[in-house]
Amino acid sequence: MNLNDNKLSTEAEINASLRVSVLALLGGAAVWLVVGLALGIVASLTFHKPDMFASCSLLTYGRVAPAANDALLYGFCMPAGLGVILWIFARLGQTPLALPIVPVVAANLWHLGVFLGLAGILIGETSGHTWLEFSRAASVLLFAAFLLIAVTAAATFGARRDRELQPAHWFLFAALLWFPWIYSTANLLLATNSPVRGVVQPIIGWWFTNNLIFVWLALVGVGTAFYLLPKISTRPLATTGYALFSFLTLVFFGAWCGIPAGAPVPAWLPTLSGLAGGLLLVPLVAIAIIVIQTVRGAKVAYSGGPFCFTKIGMIFFIISGLMYVSLACPKYSRVLEFTWFSPAQVQLQLLGFFAMIMFGAIYELLPRVMNAPLPFPKFAKLHFFLALAGVALFVIPLAIAGVEQGIKLHDANLAFADVNAAAVLFFRISTTGQLILLLGALLFALNIFVMTIQWKIALLKTALAAIKAPLPVSEVKA
Amino acid sequence: MKTGIGVFIAAAFALGSSWCGLVLAPSLQLGSAKLATVLNSTDTYPVQRNGDATLGLQIYRANGCAACHTEQVRQEGVSCEVSLTSLGKNKPEDFKPFAQSLLTLPEWLDHTKELSAAFKDWTGILPQVVLAKTDKESADKMADLLKAAGCKSETRIYAFGSDLSRGWGNRRSVAADFLYDNPVQLGSLRAGPDLANIGVRMADANVQLQHLYAPGAVAKNSVMPAFRYLFEVRKQVDGATSPEALTLPKEFAPAAGYEVVPKAEAKQLVAYLLSLRANVPLYEAPFTPVISAKP
Amino acid sequence: MSDESHKDCCANSAGEPTATRSTVPMWIIVVTLILLFVGGVYFDHHGGWFSPKIYAPFNSAEEVEAYQPKSGEAAARARGKVVYDSVCGICHGPDGLGKPGQAPKLAGSEWVITKGMNRLAHIPLQGISGPIKVAGQDWNMNMAAMGAALPDEDLAAVLSYIRTSWGNKAAPITAEDLKKIRSEVGNGALPMTGDQMMKLPE
Repeated sequence: MNLNDNKLSTEAEINASLRVSVLALLGGAAVWLVVGLALGIVASLTFHKPDMFASCSLLTYGRVAPAANDALLYGFCMPAGLGVILWIFARLGQTPLALPIVPVVAANLWHLGVFLGLAGILIGETSGHTWLEFSRAASVLLFAAFLLIAVTAAATFGARRDRELQPAHWFLFAALLWFPWIYSTANLLLATNSPVRGVVQPIIGWWFTNNLIFVWLALVGVGTAFYLLPKISTRPLATTGYALFSFLTLVFFGAWCGIPAGAPVPAWLPTLSGLAGGLLLVPLVAIAIIVIQTVRGAKVAYSGGPFCFTKIGMIFFIISGLMYVSLACPKYSRVLEFTWFSPAQVQLQLLGFFAMIMFGAIYELLPRVMNAPLPFPKFAKLHFFLALAGVALFVIPLAIAGVEQGIKLHDANLAFADVNAAAVLFFRISTTGQLILLLGALLFALNIFVMTIQWKIALLKTALAAIKAPLPVSEVKA
Repeated sequence: MKTGIGVFIAAAFALGSSWCGLVLAPSLQLGSAKLATVLNSTDTYPVQRNGDATLGLQIYRANGCAACHTEQVRQEGVSCEVSLTSLGKNKPEDFKPFAQSLLTLPEWLDHTKELSAAFKDWTGILPQVVLAKTDKESADKMADLLKAAGCKSETRIYAFGSDLSRGWGNRRSVAADFLYDNPVQLGSLRAGPDLANIGVRMADANVQLQHLYAPGAVAKNSVMPAFRYLFEVRKQVDGATSPEALTLPKEFAPAAGYEVVPKAEAKQLVAYLLSLRANVPLYEAPFTPVISAKP
Repeated sequence: MSDESHKDCCANSAGEPTATRSTVPMWIIVVTLILLFVGGVYFDHHGGWFSPKIYAPFNSAEEVEAYQPKSGEAAARARGKVVYDSVCGICHGPDGLGKPGQAPKLAGSEWVITKGMNRLAHIPLQGISGPIKVAGQDWNMNMAAMGAALPDEDLAAVLSYIRTSWGNKAAPITAEDLKKIRSEVGNGALPMTGDQMMKLPE
């Protein structure tokens, strides 16, 4: 891809319109990625030395662990996804970003919300529902910011010059609609003064979690991959039929998953949810076919670049999806439920699948949007291998720990302390993976920050030059 | 563009269906649940928590205890056990041949081992388990046979599963257990043991407090972080230990002249933990409660 | 088809990606429909048809009904223990050994292991006061009519429990018998003295 190609007159215009918005979303996302991974390491330390934070309420495991997860999901994944959606909508529609100032405001609201939410969790102000821990003020900020960005994206979509809809459009548009729906439902029914009673709370919690972690991330991640893979390989996506089928089955079966097989609820709920989980195999197969057919034989001479990120992200998506199916299948879930296997799947979904696709998209879009090359291209390449090794070292030991813990938990003759001791051993290995991931994330953040600073310096120089320069003739006349 | 609208409607239907099925329907069905009745009694369940325990749930929430502890017990199945409680007018000598005669009947072939084991070394002590780990149909058949022979029997129904074998409860968790909880803290990971019945298992408030302050003092090899910030280490007044001070093993005890006393939060948290007792039989998770007949 | 689209992939002038046009392949729809059918059969077996009272491992309402424990002796005994611990055990001790200065023991007490249960039932229904002799010890205390407010089933269960626990081996009491005695005693009867009690038939 030649960075300087300027075939369309609007090309530079589109990029310029996106610059501030995308930077506001992605710059913050990079910070939260580093913060989230660092908090994750702090949380892991408790399993190395349980009494480490015995006298510090801020850093107790029960607070740091959800804070780390929320920093990754709400801090990194979501704003990165939103930034990439704006970019793809502008590019596919061949139109500059509509309302370019709105996403900037929204990005700041969003990051403020994440900050308030995380601080709240650490001081004990949490709702107590998994993935909904943020305080009410933070949730309102996130919701408002999302709506603003969704409106911008919809306006950009409406103003598109290329009228044809691409598969990426379906996935990303559904994601823009689905998040406000699930987030408002969950917050209104769980986090108000008169929430729903009893076990309905966790049911709605599971529905929300599943639809955010599995469905929403899948819609944005797969949608982005369906844009990036054909774009970078310069081959068409194969094919619309499979794409339509995978999209509809993913939203239909995916949305019904999430109620664990052993949940203390009437049998019909986990049974239906488990069935939907089994049927998820269908969209997974369809998506795998699309990716293989699109990528097979494509020649992209750049190892460790955006293409590699996207490909490995999709491989992790299939693995994470299969892990999710196994958690839904009653036969395996009775072993895997309540073990480290489930956190392993979530981390693979966040850091293996979604983050990889986002890294790919960001390394692809950043030089174009900023109209400047990456300051440290070698770091980007290194980041790929660090991210790959980090995810493998983080997730594989956790998954093995989960399987072993589950099998041993079913042997009532083994003392619970011994069951745990075996799992903790693997858990400690996985901390190495977290350290490597953090190192990679630092390189990623460095690239974005140096780029931002260079851009600001350039802006300053232009401004200075404009002040120093003699007034143009036309203005003198006026 | 036409396909676009079609796809949009189909997707909205797919997503909306899950909202109807997993949000609306459960809210209508379970959201207005009333108190349950304990089987074979007039007691209602669950019992409303007292003030300290209600506040304790908020301490449990704020410190993220649910990150490592579940409050839900699973059950793999339900079984019956038939015990002979009285021989009626039969003599023990008469009964043995009767039991032997059952062995030849085709419907008891699956249970031959248990039946012969039950009466091989039987010395006439009652109650004696005749048939264990069996379904309700076989249990009823056996009870009828014993009744026809002039004996009395009792059928015990019990839930089984690895969680229950660990002593974490005597039945699975059901919706009724969580009626008064807000927020409901089910948890999803067992880095620590299940707490659905911790109030039964560890009923001593002092042990609970010790465990929170120094997990190693109560449970060996515990990986639970200590919650020292819920306690206060203060100087003893006039060299005397106050009644609420914790008694701790030497390696966890504070310096001489000092004592560890729980803050209000710790007491509330323990009150909440002691209130976790999901062990009564309910219609949807039935079992026969047993108590040991110790002399 | 695919060759053509290869050429005009990135067909639009800006180098934006496109997708090969096709309809949804038949085989995958058929596979999905088959899986849906299998799923329907599975739900029919395990889903409990949306009943709020059916939890795994039960599959149907009949099954839940079949496994309801009958209120046999074991259940009554368990019930008796619950009532004993909350009402009687506070003074008589959890193990029936009594507490000095509070209440006499029940284990091996001649007042408890009587042949019939008429006299025993009068004590919680009516109360007892004044000097009595229990297992060779002299007592002079008052017991209020602690059982007057309990339902017949609970009082019968708790009396049966103390008659069959801690080494006591007397016949249990049924709720019907207790109902009869209660109607004889009536409401608000005054506590009897030990001597009056002793005159009652066993």
